[in-house]
Amino acid sequence: MKKEKLQSCFVQLVFVAAVASVWEATARAHIFGARSELIFPTLEAIGSAFVKNFASGYAGVSFWIYILNSMKLLLLGLVLGIAGAVLFSGLSVASRVFYYIYNLVVSVFDLIPGVALLPVIIILFGIRPSVIVFLVVHAVIWPMSRNILDGFAAIPRIYVEAGKNIGLNQLELLTGVYIPAATSYLVSGLKVSWARAWRGLISAEMIFGIASCPGIGLYINQMRTNMKNAEMYATLIVIVLIGVLVQYGILEPIETHTVKKWGMTK
Amino acid sequence: MRRKISVTAALTLAAVMVTATGLPAAAEAADTSVNLAFQYGLAYAPLTIAKEQKLIEQAYEEATGKTVEVTWTQMSAGADINTGIASGSVQVGFMGVGPAITGCMSGVGYKIFMNLSGQEHGLMSNREELATLEDLVNSDEQVALVNIGSIQHIILAKALEHAGFDAHALDANLIAMKHPDGMTALESGNVACHLTTNPYIYKEREDMEASGLHEIEGISDVWSADNSFIVGVCSAELCEEDPALYEALCQAFAEAIAYINEHGEEAAKITCEFDGTTPEEELQYLEAGTYATETSGVFELATFMAEHDFLDTAPESFADLAYENVEGN
Repeated sequence: MKKEKLQSCFVQLVFVAAVASVWEATARAHIFGARSELIFPTLEAIGSAFVKNFASGYAGVSFWIYILNSMKLLLLGLVLGIAGAVLFSGLSVASRVFYYIYNLVVSVFDLIPGVALLPVIIILFGIRPSVIVFLVVHAVIWPMSRNILDGFAAIPRIYVEAGKNIGLNQLELLTGVYIPAATSYLVSGLKVSWARAWRGLISAEMIFGIASCPGIGLYINQMRTNMKNAEMYATLIVIVLIGVLVQYGILEPIETHTVKKWGMTK
Repeated sequence: MRRKISVTAALTLAAVMVTATGLPAAAEAADTSVNLAFQYGLAYAPLTIAKEQKLIEQAYEEATGKTVEVTWTQMSAGADINTGIASGSVQVGFMGVGPAITGCMSGVGYKIFMNLSGQEHGLMSNREELATLEDLVNSDEQVALVNIGSIQHIILAKALEHAGFDAHALDANLIAMKHPDGMTALESGNVACHLTTNPYIYKEREDMEASGLHEIEGISDVWSADNSFIVGVCSAELCEEDPALYEALCQAFAEAIAYINEHGEEAAKITCEFDGTTPEEELQYLEAGTYATETSGVFELATFMAEHDFLDTAPESFADLAYENVEGN
């Protein structure tokens, strides 16, 4: 087990180092013509832009403020989205009619990009940070619901029948049978939702920049507008780092202590 | 052995990923093609004329006897056009004077080769208590405009300074959203003010009585329709290496501008289709704009931008921003 972990770490490190060296070689080869340095900066330039982002921020606003604002909106959207998905999927277990409707709603709305809904959202919610929260909820609730619904559908009938036989009511069935049996689906739903929420947040902030609540997406846009490509790439690295931190610091431990411990997945 | 395989696999995947992120644009076909990038709106009307009447192709053929293949690409932001020109995949771009100045001063490798148009800007509000810029500065109401750091933002900063306030006094009140989204937000009462341009500013003025809007004065005093709004930029390579094509571009767009000024009705019939208006509306909007090849106020604007943190390096003279043939300032 330990050996496998080491091996996976080693392969991943080699992979990252290889990507970095190919990037650096490409940047140094100036293959994009005279302005190569500007549009395809070297790792050194990106590294110093990374430091500069945190040291000086932009237009008198610290970079930490951008990150904190984004994380705040993201967390709120993520919690609301997951809670909504669990609630509605739970109701789908209780009522067949609700299931038919919700199944259709999930299939339809999962296909609609959040940013395409912006005009409607502006009219409904006004112009405030809650619009971004709404877009994050939209990014999370449908894939999460789809995973939960599929997870519930995959539970062997015999478990549900056994639960009914010992006299569980609908709520007890949900918490005692459906949710534990579908945990592996819930965990993979969490992973997908987290990534969708993160992406949804950044694209919403890029389209809809609120100066009184500036987020990472707005920062990327400002760097693009000012032709500061190294700073822009450095910001993308920050996005990836936060994503990886959540993936390995929060989501993996959850997986290890639930489905892996219970022997539901490898 | 297995380790070797996984390392090779990782290396190959890495190489594929990096090369996939951006190969250099395909080699251009000989000396007879040019890629132009522009954005959406009435301010770009002369481009539609040049495109529909094939003015560039004709001008180049008359001058050299050779043919040129012109590719037009519509992009959504000046920043994207800047990247396109820096990478060499686009040679000529049309954009707001703000990003054009930023591009000239951050080494994208182009300069302004002509002015395209000037358009009226205005600040509309749906809150009765906001009558002047001073009311706005003293409130925490929000102002929607197309982007932080955009030409509209710079014009607002200029107007604030002109009215005796700090140029950045309203920075924390800004909301960046596209012109049509901003209009929706203003008319539904979700944002207090909207700083916008042709045709949205005229649409909002038309709706003034019905939707209870009014205009906050002070914007067009500092930047009118006679000042440069959209300019054309051309890569240094094209300007130096293919002077005949450069000449043809200048001539074609000058003809297109003259066509709009002299044959407004015919021009409106051509461009209305692309702007989604009727020919009558289109003519009205075209007449409200200024279409001219001479720039106006560009150097002054760049100096203002450098003084107020919109630009890192200040230009020393107009020659840092525009090629020799450009008339104006």
